[in-house]
Amino acid sequence: MTTLETVLEKLGVAESWVESRGTFWLSPGSLSVRQVAKAMNEVKARFVTITAYQLPGAEGFRLEYHWDLEGRLLGFPFTIAGGPMESARIESIWDLCEAADWIEREVHEGFAIEFAGRVYEPLLLREGDAPGVNLREFPVKPVPGVQPQKEVTP
Amino acid sequence: MSYKIPMGPYHPGLEEPYKLNMICEGETVRDAELTIGFNFRGIEHLAESRNYFQVIALMERVCGICSNIHTLTLCQAMEQLAGLEPPPRAKYIRVVMAELERLHSHVLWAGIAAKLMGFKTMFMTCFALREKVMDVLQEISGNRVNYAMNRIGGVNRDIEDPIALVLPIDELEREMMRTVIPIFTTSTTARSRCAGIGILTHEKALSCAVVGPTARASGVAQDLRRHAPYAAYGELEFEVPVEQAGDVRARLFVRALEIIESCRILRQALAKMPPGEIAVGGDKFAFVTGTATSRVEAPRGEVLYSVSWKENSRNPARVHVRTPTYANMPAVRWMVRGARLADTPLIQASIDPCYSCTDR
Repeated sequence: MTTLETVLEKLGVAESWVESRGTFWLSPGSLSVRQVAKAMNEVKARFVTITAYQLPGAEGFRLEYHWDLEGRLLGFPFTIAGGPMESARIESIWDLCEAADWIEREVHEGFAIEFAGRVYEPLLLREGDAPGVNLREFPVKPVPGVQPQKEVTP
Repeated sequence: MSYKIPMGPYHPGLEEPYKLNMICEGETVRDAELTIGFNFRGIEHLAESRNYFQVIALMERVCGICSNIHTLTLCQAMEQLAGLEPPPRAKYIRVVMAELERLHSHVLWAGIAAKLMGFKTMFMTCFALREKVMDVLQEISGNRVNYAMNRIGGVNRDIEDPIALVLPIDELEREMMRTVIPIFTTSTTARSRCAGIGILTHEKALSCAVVGPTARASGVAQDLRRHAPYAAYGELEFEVPVEQAGDVRARLFVRALEIIESCRILRQALAKMPPGEIAVGGDKFAFVTGTATSRVEAPRGEVLYSVSWKENSRNPARVHVRTPTYANMPAVRWMVRGARLADTPLIQASIDPCYSCTDR
């Protein structure tokens, strides 16, 4: 069985894993997503998915990359810059990990995040639609007389 | 000279819409292009505007076949954020529901595969067996499709007499062993339609990161029930069937053997079911700020939910769903390469695709 310490050695980082709510997390620090993907290939981890989150204001986005290592779910969070109206960008791992193809295309569609080094067309889920129309929040000009929706509190 | 044959988005055999453009030379498929998204409903976005009760009902509708698995995975993630541990009886009831759903899904798939092979009588036999499984599901939950069994902290309904359910399980297993499995495994027609067709090599299965029976039929021994046990699976004994050939026949064998293993799990779960409560936590929940991830082995393979919450909010901040067909479908391109055009419907069906899940 491949230990989590072996993964740290492959990545060459001094950080340690933090187990939280179903995932072993490792802060990638200065590592790029491609370096992580190469290390995951070396330890024969299975790619699972990328989960994208838009951070508040102009903080950008958080992309959580998940791999499965013999039943343990590994998570690597990457924060990328990108204001509400700016493009956000991260390197594609598609050439290193073909299983990441669809999810990179979906994140591109949902959040208008650009994965550098690949093409996306045709779009996966909403062919012909604009990237970001699905899940990204763009600032909306207030319409006079219309109150913004508020969450219902218990 | 090569030419392109569009198959879909509406199919005579498979009921869900998707499109596969086959690039052929004569009768041989050289490559394929896949288009999905015809069932896109924006469920992940909708989830952000639903409270913690409504989101369970919404996610139950991601898929019509494995609806219970989606609520189970979501509830497990929300329980981590609420700091709740379901009682032991609820965990066993979750196993019973999950395995009945696996039986229902696999028998349904066997029927569709039989129809695509030209075995119409076997199609009817499989659907008659499926009805028996659905009767059991209805007996437990009151519903035949969306069971509404899972809730945060446990389950909504108890199984009052677990031992009474062993009889229909035994009957189903006997019928599978007597008719369905022997015909699928020994009939010349089934062998000629399935053996050596739609091969996904072990190496390609690893590089495409396929999951579930599709992976296990290509020699990848992964099953979350064994490798990352959830609910009560850690207390039950079962085998994980693995085949090496990677063809349609291997996928058929894996599912047939999984039906037998599901019956074995069900008998154990019903016999060992501990007494006690079926849910904890009342009907008001407080979630901490953060993200929780949960994974479950659905009939078609691994389902993952990433749920993000902000404290004092009734709605999730984000729900991301990765379904098994989403992982398996890109591999179809490799399965159909070199196949005869006439075999491609069966090859596509052999991964048991669900586009309702894939598109969300």
